[in-house]
Amino acid sequence: MADPKRKRRDDGGREKSKKNNKKQKSSDSRAPLKNSGRRKKSGPRLPSSLQKEIERLNPTAALNSDEDIASGDYNVDGEIYGKDVYEFDEERAEEESQKNKRYDQVGVNKFEYELPDELSDDFKDEDLESDHENVDDDGNWETQGEQARGDDSEEEDDGRHTRMLQGITGMPSEAFEDKRKEKKDDVISELYRKSEYNSIPDINVGDGCVSFNDIMDTRRGTSDYSNLRKWGQQVNKARIVHAPLPKSDQAKVERNLAYEHSKKEITQWEPIIKRNREASTILFDENTDLGFSTVGAIASEFEPRTEFERKIAAIVGDNELKEAHKKDGSRLLELNEVSIEDEKERQNRIAKMRCLLFRHEMKAKHIKKIKSKTYHRLLKKDRVKAMSARIEVDPEAAKEFALKQERLRAEERMTLKHKNQNQWAKRILSRGLDNQDEGTRAAIAEQLRRHTELTRKMNSMKDSSSSSSDDTSDDDDDADENLAVSDGDRASKLLEKAKDKTMKVLEEEDEVPKSGLLSLPFMRRGLAKRKEAAAEEAKLALQEYDNSLKNLENPSGSEDTKVASISGRRVFGAAKSQTPDASDKIKSDHFYGGSDSEDGLEAIENSEMVNDRSNNLQNVVMSDPVSIQEDTDTHEDSVFKNLNEIIKDSGPKTTYEVAIFASDTWKKAKNRSDKDADNKNSLKLTGPVRQELKDTEKESEEVSDTDSEGHMVDGILSSGSKFSYKLPSQEELIQQAFACDDVEDDFEKDKQDILNEENPEPEKPILLPGWGQWTDIQQKKGLPSWMLKEHDVAKKKREEALKKRKDANLKHVIISERVDKKAEKLHTKALPYPFTSQEVFDQSLRMPIGPEFNPATTAGALNRPEVVKRPGIIIKPIEFKDPLEKVGWGGEKPKLKNKGNGGKKNTKHQARV
Amino acid sequence: MKVKVISRSADEFTRERSNDLQRVFRNYDPSIRSQEKAVEYVRALNAAKLDKIFARPFIGAMDGHIDAISCMAKNPNHLKGIFSGSMDGDIRLWDISSRRTVCQFPGHQGAVRGLAVSTDGQILVSCGTDCSVRLWNVPVAAPMELGGSTENSAEPISVYVWKNAFWGVDHEWGGERFATVGAQVDIWNHNRSQPIQSFEWGSDSVISVRFNPGEPDLLATSASDRSITLYDLRQSSPVRKMIMMTKTNSLSWNPREPLNFTAANEDGNCYSYDARKLDEAKCVHKDHVSAVMDIDYSPTGREFVTGSYDRTVRIFQYNGGHSREIYHTKRMQRVFCVKFSCDASYVISGSDDTNLRLWKANASEQLGVVLPRERKKHDYHEALKNRYKYLPEVKRIVRHRHLPKPIFKATSLMRAMADARKRKDERRKAHSAPGSIKTKPLRTRRIIKEVE
Repeated sequence: MADPKRKRRDDGGREKSKKNNKKQKSSDSRAPLKNSGRRKKSGPRLPSSLQKEIERLNPTAALNSDEDIASGDYNVDGEIYGKDVYEFDEERAEEESQKNKRYDQVGVNKFEYELPDELSDDFKDEDLESDHENVDDDGNWETQGEQARGDDSEEEDDGRHTRMLQGITGMPSEAFEDKRKEKKDDVISELYRKSEYNSIPDINVGDGCVSFNDIMDTRRGTSDYSNLRKWGQQVNKARIVHAPLPKSDQAKVERNLAYEHSKKEITQWEPIIKRNREASTILFDENTDLGFSTVGAIASEFEPRTEFERKIAAIVGDNELKEAHKKDGSRLLELNEVSIEDEKERQNRIAKMRCLLFRHEMKAKHIKKIKSKTYHRLLKKDRVKAMSARIEVDPEAAKEFALKQERLRAEERMTLKHKNQNQWAKRILSRGLDNQDEGTRAAIAEQLRRHTELTRKMNSMKDSSSSSSDDTSDDDDDADENLAVSDGDRASKLLEKAKDKTMKVLEEEDEVPKSGLLSLPFMRRGLAKRKEAAAEEAKLALQEYDNSLKNLENPSGSEDTKVASISGRRVFGAAKSQTPDASDKIKSDHFYGGSDSEDGLEAIENSEMVNDRSNNLQNVVMSDPVSIQEDTDTHEDSVFKNLNEIIKDSGPKTTYEVAIFASDTWKKAKNRSDKDADNKNSLKLTGPVRQELKDTEKESEEVSDTDSEGHMVDGILSSGSKFSYKLPSQEELIQQAFACDDVEDDFEKDKQDILNEENPEPEKPILLPGWGQWTDIQQKKGLPSWMLKEHDVAKKKREEALKKRKDANLKHVIISERVDKKAEKLHTKALPYPFTSQEVFDQSLRMPIGPEFNPATTAGALNRPEVVKRPGIIIKPIEFKDPLEKVGWGGEKPKLKNKGNGGKKNTKHQARV
Repeated sequence: MKVKVISRSADEFTRERSNDLQRVFRNYDPSIRSQEKAVEYVRALNAAKLDKIFARPFIGAMDGHIDAISCMAKNPNHLKGIFSGSMDGDIRLWDISSRRTVCQFPGHQGAVRGLAVSTDGQILVSCGTDCSVRLWNVPVAAPMELGGSTENSAEPISVYVWKNAFWGVDHEWGGERFATVGAQVDIWNHNRSQPIQSFEWGSDSVISVRFNPGEPDLLATSASDRSITLYDLRQSSPVRKMIMMTKTNSLSWNPREPLNFTAANEDGNCYSYDARKLDEAKCVHKDHVSAVMDIDYSPTGREFVTGSYDRTVRIFQYNGGHSREIYHTKRMQRVFCVKFSCDASYVISGSDDTNLRLWKANASEQLGVVLPRERKKHDYHEALKNRYKYLPEVKRIVRHRHLPKPIFKATSLMRAMADARKRKDERRKAHSAPGSIKTKPLRTRRIIKEVE
């Protein structure tokens, strides 16, 4: 406690003494301070250690003067040894130093003049203290002195008085001695005695005032005494009027009061501020005035700004017009008067226009009548040129041109004018293009080119939908061709169409209403029944169609029957072999069969293969008419499936082919295949038989078996039987089992490795010959000492590090202390400021806040920012609202929680956050 | 047999309009989303990076003055208008959206030292070193008529010449009074040619004044004797004075918290005080490397902007010890005045290079119309950044700023000095008796005393 303070004091003392020195120089008269002598420093100082030494040697030297003792008394800390040895002037006598002044022990005078320095705290404490003490001392001393003086003067007065009395009375002074001694009493008694008659106060008595009670005593006993006394007491209380304070003090008091008052005023804000700070969100975008809400409001505020607007406004706002509108229309007519000159002028203008139009018309007619082709060509050329020139210059014209082109293209697409469809082109084509001369050919080519040019856009647009339309057109073509090919087929065609329709109807029936009255269960049942009946009918109809088809085709010969059979059963191979347009037939078949284009293509691709097979199939058909019937009954799709199956599975096909080529009969083929199957079965049978054999062999434990496994087993068993076998103990077995691997050693090795990795061993000092020293000397000396030392230090460090590890004392545990740098990014180094515990911090990060992880109702609240404001909306300063009132309102601002009830402490804390 | 069928009504999946988003149904069960934390961390990181990418705070400069800009005033009733006064006596009204001068107010002979606008935005008060207070009518904004070349000039309504030069002026919120400061503090009324009230405490000149917007009778001034003084206009005397070690250049009341004000100090720090407890600052805002010249609170009360003699503008949180943002350009010289716009989205700075500069308050904020979905996304990113701001990587990215070289050097130098001082203090403490040396907290260190 003492040391630094002492130093400071020392410093203060030093400074003070400097000031003193200055004063001394200016005025010879010196006011000695309580410790002025000691503090007056001139000349070099000894270091404090030396001073201490000296003081220790002769302690009396420090106390060689009264003054110093006094100072020592004053300075409780005992700074006695802080005295300067070089200071000789302090030894001067006190009286001498204070020649013209009174003895002032503590230097009050000095302090009275020296104002304490406000700005340096170091000074302040000490000086204040000393000031107080000084003042106190001084005050006491002063008052004592005054008392003494007062006594003196009194004595003097008494002396004079006695002398006067002696002079007057001639009596010795002793006679008056006693009187003087009892003077006070006498006087008082006299006063009291006198007071009855005389109210003049005696100066020598009491405080020299007549008290209120004194006066009151005279009135005692009278009627209004009590009233007067009461009044007197009241007056007494208010009677003491202090002397007015100095102005500065007065102002200070005023300011303090004012500050207290305004403090109280602004403290009212505290709960509001607290609430705002604690709110999770503050909204500033509420209660915004967005200006006009309706068109009418906007229009009513409209003021014309530009010239045009003003003109319009002048007309619209014209009073006459307004009135005219308000009344009937007659006034409007009057206002609308037109002068004769205007009307004439207008007529003239119109006549002129008409005239011009007529002239133009005549001219156009004339030009049209001109028959010269060259003239028209030239005219056209000119027109085109002008057009192109205009296009380049005028964007409007360009747009027009583009529109025209578009129109042309559209027309071309609609009319197909240039697709060799006019008579001329048809004629030329029918004659053959090769026979024509070059000019015609060029013309045809030109036409085609033009067509392509005009329809180019269309083609590019139609890419996606081309395939389907192609298909249909193809089908149509095919149908046409079919019609052309065989007239006899027409009836069958009709039948097929009819059949097709029935099929469609059948298919359509599958659709079941999913809603409404028809979806009710009983309705459904009824519907199903009806459907079944319809299906039955349809099937019957189909059969009929088929039969009639057959009947139709049978008489026309074997070939036709084949065709019919094909069309009926959707087997197409037979017809193809005979007719040249077999492929077409196939296509038509497909058309009937639901136009599955893929199948069709496949069929075309495989047509040859099918052709090969067709004979056989036909044979099959012929040999098995019953099956035909059945097939016709079945659904078409199933027929196709059969077909596909036949095409697809190549295995049996080959066999068929082989068989058919060998014998031309299905039965044979079938038999053969059956035989094959039998063979296969027999082959398969051999497997199990063998296994059985094996089993039997195993059971019998015959060594003769070729199975190696059995042999092995036998071998072991036989060896066991040879020696006297002793069952090994558990331990032995385990030892045998883990003969090669030593787990503990491995673990230790692993641990050592990890330790070495995490705390690497220091490198061994290596002797580099010739480095730093001569080789021979080096060899003699060995390694230099510093190297060894370094190595030792590193080793020790490592050992210490190993000891500090968590797994140092755990034999069977490895605790890795490697820091994962990637994971380090995800952790804070220390607990962040507002959080008080790790758990709370972790908790704050636990729940995700994203819209993917939270429903939309909560995601918004989770992500809401602290301050919600809109750009462009002026935020006004806060307005005072009574917090109590606000609580009453309830949910005025739902985002703000914790209403009212603000404590001072909390706010303070908040403010620092 | 019962057949279970998944049934979903079509209403849940169909959109009302073709522009609507398809509804996506999610299972929010946390057990099936184990990576959510990692995902959000990465998103926070990306958001921080995106903020850096989109940080383009400077919008434009407004030039026209021919001398350093000494003061500014915002029009509390009109978002686009800002007034600026320069050292050559020129006052201009700027249209922020077009960044052009709308009107000029010629008349001052010397430097314009203070500007203030009445709450209704009708009257502009200016004062300067030519000992005059001038009241002007603010021209009504005519948005369509801005031809560009029309620079109107206005005539003052009234000119009051007084005894001494003025250093600042501020207008009361919602009233007719305004206060000028110079040799003393004078309270004026619009309709009087003489001050209605005068305060004097000490003999030094007062350099700045600010009315409390929440509590219109309260007034704070700072003087060149390093003091901050509070006045209450209901009383006839000043209220309280506090003396600091260095001069306070400017101060600003928090508009949402009428208790608190922040003082911009000459020592490069800002000090937030509670008006009731002036013996200790509530918060010390450090970052500037030179004297802070001006300060203005955001209307939200959550942050404030400071302009400094070190040629930078900084934005602080109202309770943050360090700045959130620093703005600087090569051409910007000493910043003498700063203002936050009334909608808290822009910052305007006036500097020695005769230019006003317009900045975004939030450097990476998207201007223009922000659709609700977009805003939600921004909010989400903001929330994520706020959540993961303590993690080192995010923190690093968010905090990183490019500084001009002189400021960077000065900062490091100041840090070194502070460290050295701290070290010395620690050693001194360690080598002296325990308890004999007490370190004063930073909040009270620069305060000398509170005068009653």
